Amino acid sequence: METRELVQKLEGIQTIESVMDILKVNKQMAIYYIHRLRKEGYVKTKKQSNNIRVYSISLNNKLRGKSYYEIINLYSPIKISTPIIYNIYGKEISLEETLIYAIKTKSLRTILASLALFKKINDWKKLYHLAKENNVERQVGALYDLSHKIIKVRRMNNKFRNNALPKEKDKFEYIIQGLKSNDFIDIEKKWKVYIPFNKKDLEGYK
Amino acid sequence: MITIDQQQKLLLNISRRLTRKITIYAIGGTAMMFLGFKDSTLDIDLVFENEKDREVFKEAITSLGYLSMDAIAVYGKKRNTPEMFKLSDERFDLFINEVIDFIFSDNMRRRAEQIHQFEDKLILKIADPHDIILMKCATDRIKDKDDARRIINSTKINWNLIIDEAKNQMELGKNRAVFDLGCFLEDIKTGMNLDIPMDVLDKLFLIVEKQAKDKRNIQ
Repeated sequence: METRELVQKLEGIQTIESVMDILKVNKQMAIYYIHRLRKEGYVKTKKQSNNIRVYSISLNNKLRGKSYYEIINLYSPIKISTPIIYNIYGKEISLEETLIYAIKTKSLRTILASLALFKKINDWKKLYHLAKENNVERQVGALYDLSHKIIKVRRMNNKFRNNALPKEKDKFEYIIQGLKSNDFIDIEKKWKVYIPFNKKDLEGYK
Repeated sequence: MITIDQQQKLLLNISRRLTRKITIYAIGGTAMMFLGFKDSTLDIDLVFENEKDREVFKEAITSLGYLSMDAIAVYGKKRNTPEMFKLSDERFDLFINEVIDFIFSDNMRRRAEQIHQFEDKLILKIADPHDIILMKCATDRIKDKDDARRIINSTKINWNLIIDEAKNQMELGKNRAVFDLGCFLEDIKTGMNLDIPMDVLDKLFLIVEKQAKDKRNIQ
């Protein structure tokens, strides 16, 4: 079987048993195929608490870049699958950049999962600079206040808050077009930004 | 030949030498490597959005020792040939928007969903496999048919998407696109015994016939 065909069939999270099932082969052959793919860089192995090995098989593993989604999944209790490949090479991805990327995706689940990043974000100067560059200062502020209601977060720097708060002439903006909150109207008014979540959406953080 | 690891190191090196941030599209062997169709490639085919971005990129690769070479040796006297740079075995083919008789259209840009960012300055978007086939048809060098065969054999092809893009090329003024694509696919179907549905070729040549009739009527 060609490597690409093998990767396509096994893409995702597998165990030896699931590999045997998918490829309709015996255990020895399943181990051989995993070994072959690992040698070529397509497999990441993890051991579960019950000692079972779990194989994450993907074409992306071979490329060795790091993605924003990996960073979000590292810190968030809400795990997301990778809708698109956006790999970064040769530099450490900061949490601040990851948050801005998440907001710019305009994806409900990605933004929801990224709220957990506020637990670790502490470079407010960098965050403000990135937010301003991408015109999402108020969105960041509103999402911070939302996170503050559901998880323990680091204190937002006053300079960030003062600079990001809306001016009188500013109009309301959406984070995700057309989505408003019924439960967080206070935050929406403060930042002039519509929050795309209700209380029920945030249950994953309990 | 350049492997995936070598290519990543090279792109990182180039990124460090760029004087500003640029976005480019990978359309050939490089794109195939990122999509897992190939393990190595000879030439790195890239499409730029404008001449300024290509200039910045050219400065970076020449500082790495790449030397300019004549495109006629590879592409003959075709239109919209790339600027080519070579260092030992590796070669860069640098296009701007147009790839021989095809345009790297807005639809193609939208479909290039996979993104690879090298440090801060180099953003590489990977063309969709369907568009790589179209670009292979455009460049039509010795190895291009083999690469197209590899893609067709390894992934599910949405032939309607390819036909629609060929029509789009016509609307963009590239009148030869549908004819070239029809001939290219017919060649690889018969020459390489590939499973390309007959109705795909029929549809393409029907468009060519209509195109010819319309032209005659105008004259």
